[in-house]
Amino acid sequence: MTLTDRYLGVVLSAVPRAQRPDVERELRSSIADALDDRLAAGEPPEAAEAAVLEGLGDPAALATRLSDRPTSLIGPELFPAWRQVTGSLLAVVVPLLAILLAVVAAANGEGLTEMVGAAIGGAFQALLQVVFWTTLVFAAVERFDTGRDAHQALGVPMGRWTVDRLPVPASARMGASDLVGELLSSIGCIIGLAVLTQVAPVIDGRQVPLLAPTMVSFWVPVLIVVLAVLAVFQVVVYMAGRWTMRRATIHALLQLAFSVPVLVLALEGRILDPAFGAAIRVPDLGAGDGWLMISIAVIVVAVTAWDILDAFRRARRAVV
Amino acid sequence: MDETELLALHLQELRRGTVVVACLLALRTPDYGYALLRRLDDAGVPSDANTIYPLLRRLEERGLLTSAWDTGESRPRKFYRTSDAGSALADRLLVEMDRLTSGLHALTGGPDR
Repeated sequence: MTLTDRYLGVVLSAVPRAQRPDVERELRSSIADALDDRLAAGEPPEAAEAAVLEGLGDPAALATRLSDRPTSLIGPELFPAWRQVTGSLLAVVVPLLAILLAVVAAANGEGLTEMVGAAIGGAFQALLQVVFWTTLVFAAVERFDTGRDAHQALGVPMGRWTVDRLPVPASARMGASDLVGELLSSIGCIIGLAVLTQVAPVIDGRQVPLLAPTMVSFWVPVLIVVLAVLAVFQVVVYMAGRWTMRRATIHALLQLAFSVPVLVLALEGRILDPAFGAAIRVPDLGAGDGWLMISIAVIVVAVTAWDILDAFRRARRAVV
Repeated sequence: MDETELLALHLQELRRGTVVVACLLALRTPDYGYALLRRLDDAGVPSDANTIYPLLRRLEERGLLTSAWDTGESRPRKFYRTSDAGSALADRLLVEMDRLTSGLHALTGGPDR
């Protein structure tokens, strides 16, 4: 393997696959031409080859110039937003999940060691999940976003500036702090649901799960997926910089996709495992007309209505 | 940063724009990358290999150059030729560069004063 082969190996590995054969052929013949000239001038072969390659410079830098595409995962325009979102989410989600899992372990009657273990495991999981998903979404925006709206939202003007680019009224805009708030509520619900499936305290010598089996096996996973889609959509709205009627409508549909099933399940008394109520001597705890399920239904309706109306309100202000 | 480094840095900045004009003008006669480098050198507008090869690709993407492989010779060579659009652009840029040069001379109180 010659120095030239090794040099081209580095260049080609960083060039888009479709361009590789063409780039390789052109660079090979150019290197050979330059080498011929140096040999004709009487240079020793090895020194001549090294000099030609050093003339071309760092192969990684050459590949970057040849391929003309982003070589960073998250570029300088998006990096500040990525850092803010990731940092804020970590600050809340990591301790939250650690505490929740420790409490669940305690409720399930496990010892102190298990509680600490659950807390550390939860914190680690939260760390990985938050960093992975925010990075994935931002990296996708970096590559596939056509740009204008997103970069504008982040205060980086692209192309020709017109007065249309002046910031929309703050009440219509979705800023980074709004995004963090929205994401926290979605992620909080996801964590809450996931944690509830794990609650199964030992009562009278046997484990009694809190949630009904169909909740654990079917509804909770479905609801978590809906919430995840909602979270991604919130990032999309943030990148776009403002609410529109269409975005508010999609947002409303996603909200309903979450709250309608929860409402129906609550009012039909299908959320809790009946055995749980019986075990803690409150037999109608999970009943559809019991105080707990009615409260859940009222809260779900109130929160959903507020979220949906708020998005439409912001969309209407953004039109001005 | 010492004086020679500063000079090299600013020369590089200055040449960045001119190398595009030089390529478009030179490639009205079709040529391959390495021969183009030599011609630019001989003409007194030197450029680096690691600048020229990416630049040729970018100019081709923008439709200012066309290319064709010549596999008839001892080694395959990619010949570039300035397109009509590229030629027209080069003329406009050349006029602009002349205008800038005389503008600079006017500022220094040089020949055009």
